[in-house]
Amino acid sequence: MGPIRIEPQKALDEALKLQQKMTAGVQTLRSLDPVTFGVTPKESVYKDDKVTLYRFRGVSAPTVRTPLLICYALVNTPYMVDLQDDRSLVKNLLALGQDVYLIDWGYPDGSDKFLTLDDYINGYLRRCVDFLRKSHGIDAINLLGICQGGAFSLCFSSIYPEKVKNLVTMVTPVDFHTPDNMLSHWVRELDVDLFVDTLGNIPADLMNYCYLTLKPMRLNQQKYVGLVDILDNKTELENFLRMEKWIFDSPDQAGEAFRQFIKDFYQGNKLLKGGLRIGEREVSLKNLRAPVLNIFAEQDHLVPPAASRALADATGSKDYSQIAFKGGHIGIYVSGRAQREVPPAIHDWLVKRS
Amino acid sequence: MSSNSAQDWVTQWQKLTQRYWEGWQSQGITPPGRPDFSTPWQAGLEQWAQLFGQSGMQSDLVDRVSANAKSYVALMQSMLLSSLGQAGGDGSATAWTEALRNGFNIPGMDASLWNNPLGANLRAMAGQGAKGFEQLMAEFGRGAVPFKQEMLANLNLPAFGLAREHQERWQQLGTALLDYQEQTNRYNTLILKASQQGFDRFQSKLAEREEPGRQLESVRAVYDLWIDAAEEAYADIAMSDEFRKAYGAMVNAQMRVRSLFQAEVEQQTRQLGIPTRSELKGVEKSLQELRRHLKASQEAVQEAASTGLADEVTALRAEIAALKRELLAEQPAAPKPDAAAKPAATKKTKR
Repeated sequence: MGPIRIEPQKALDEALKLQQKMTAGVQTLRSLDPVTFGVTPKESVYKDDKVTLYRFRGVSAPTVRTPLLICYALVNTPYMVDLQDDRSLVKNLLALGQDVYLIDWGYPDGSDKFLTLDDYINGYLRRCVDFLRKSHGIDAINLLGICQGGAFSLCFSSIYPEKVKNLVTMVTPVDFHTPDNMLSHWVRELDVDLFVDTLGNIPADLMNYCYLTLKPMRLNQQKYVGLVDILDNKTELENFLRMEKWIFDSPDQAGEAFRQFIKDFYQGNKLLKGGLRIGEREVSLKNLRAPVLNIFAEQDHLVPPAASRALADATGSKDYSQIAFKGGHIGIYVSGRAQREVPPAIHDWLVKRS
Repeated sequence: MSSNSAQDWVTQWQKLTQRYWEGWQSQGITPPGRPDFSTPWQAGLEQWAQLFGQSGMQSDLVDRVSANAKSYVALMQSMLLSSLGQAGGDGSATAWTEALRNGFNIPGMDASLWNNPLGANLRAMAGQGAKGFEQLMAEFGRGAVPFKQEMLANLNLPAFGLAREHQERWQQLGTALLDYQEQTNRYNTLILKASQQGFDRFQSKLAEREEPGRQLESVRAVYDLWIDAAEEAYADIAMSDEFRKAYGAMVNAQMRVRSLFQAEVEQQTRQLGIPTRSELKGVEKSLQELRRHLKASQEAVQEAASTGLADEVTALRAEIAALKRELLAEQPAAPKPDAAAKPAATKKTKR
């Protein structure tokens, strides 16, 4: 018996169904409003060059005393955590009583080419944290770092342990040399000095291209064939387009910061191995004192779970917990399961340590 | 199905094709000309895309949907032909894999992408949302063409005389361009290899489906299985040491070309008195250093102000405490509370 049993009539039905969906799509695509993200009300409370610190406003006032600062990656915008009304980590945390702040790093341009990791971590991030400590009249805040922002948060918490009460890391790479890390594998041979000296800031389009080529057939072909299935559904199509906008509306990377991140983190694996310096400050994960909650995604193709799990042995914190989430790098924020599981897990963990 | 006679196949195929085109017509989309059974099915999708004209807000999305749907419909057509027996296959995994391979070879496509769906995919990836190394180089290359021709002509000549430095730079640039071509070819060879291994893996996966109850019964299921196979094959290649070296070498080679070309442009612009990239970089670097210095100064001032205020409060408290002690010492008899407070208040007012 052969492996495929396609009845001609059934295949024709598939083709006709595709026609119907495509035709319906003509109307649906024309009726769409421009998509946006970042839906929860927020106010700018502090500005520092292109960096803005936002405070989110929930329906009711926060019930916790210590604010929670979200530190996102420099790649992409941070609004994955507040993509739409029914897919928002921020909204769910607010509803649970958290007082949520977020750093928006902005869009670096040529004048930001020489921003270093020192500027980002000992500069912008520290000043945002100090602003919160001062405005709330407290010594230490809760910090939630995401992906590269998680690596930044680990560095920060190691350098300034007294300023961080609790640390949550999400899909954060710690061991950059796990054998399943394709991105890391590729950049190992990169002459990053030549790369940055030539390009200056690293174009967002180039970054996105590299991410797509991690799974080119799935991300650039199958996804759009699958899109035909929802062409007649305005809501689903808007959700799809919102995600597309988020994926491709991303900032360029400041050249010097990119240079150091690739050299020290991706090529040197210094966050785990040691020898990492941010400006004049030495980073050692053994300096971490705050309780740590490490959340990673089991199907993450950008930050493999093993890359995050490495924190368990590397941290100096005596209070370490981890959660393995069934999903991918993005699903951990936007899937239905994520809405149900992730915010309560973070909130409960923080409340126990308040 | 594969045992139909040739006449049966033609009849069945004509019927299916007619219904397919009637399907488009019933949706209000008129196919070009008079489609017969030899017309590629993806032609209907071209009509679909044209419905959006040039003004659609989602034009990039329409292009992507249209391009991928075309590829999918071509696959669908190829699978259907195979299921009717036209492909002459025996219904085995090998025959179906061949049908799938043919489905990706759309007439009119670049011959270098024949049997290379992964290469086609990577090339098609460029658009408004993504721009890869190849596209960056293509854009950059347009400006470099006049230089390239001159460089290649002089690549092996010894440099001497007044223009020797210029000639050496051009020679370096020419050598870098040749190296970039070579490294790109190395990379493309691996991409082609990944495509071929994708077909092999697909065939193996199909063979696993030969046992009863595991057959694939829809084109979409076949397509999804192919995607799994293609991604697995690509991941194997992409995680190899060979790919890592080829990828790094290709990117580094391109950066060398770009940087040498930048230097060449600088030479020209400097002679014209136009500010160069290097000069601008110097300004940007100074700007960042000034920014850092300014922020450090501002923080130092704030800290000093804050420390100074705290010091003043501490000093005042100490003074008040001293005055209280002094007062208590001057009045050994049990003083009334009012009498004790008064001199202190008076002193404070004097300040």
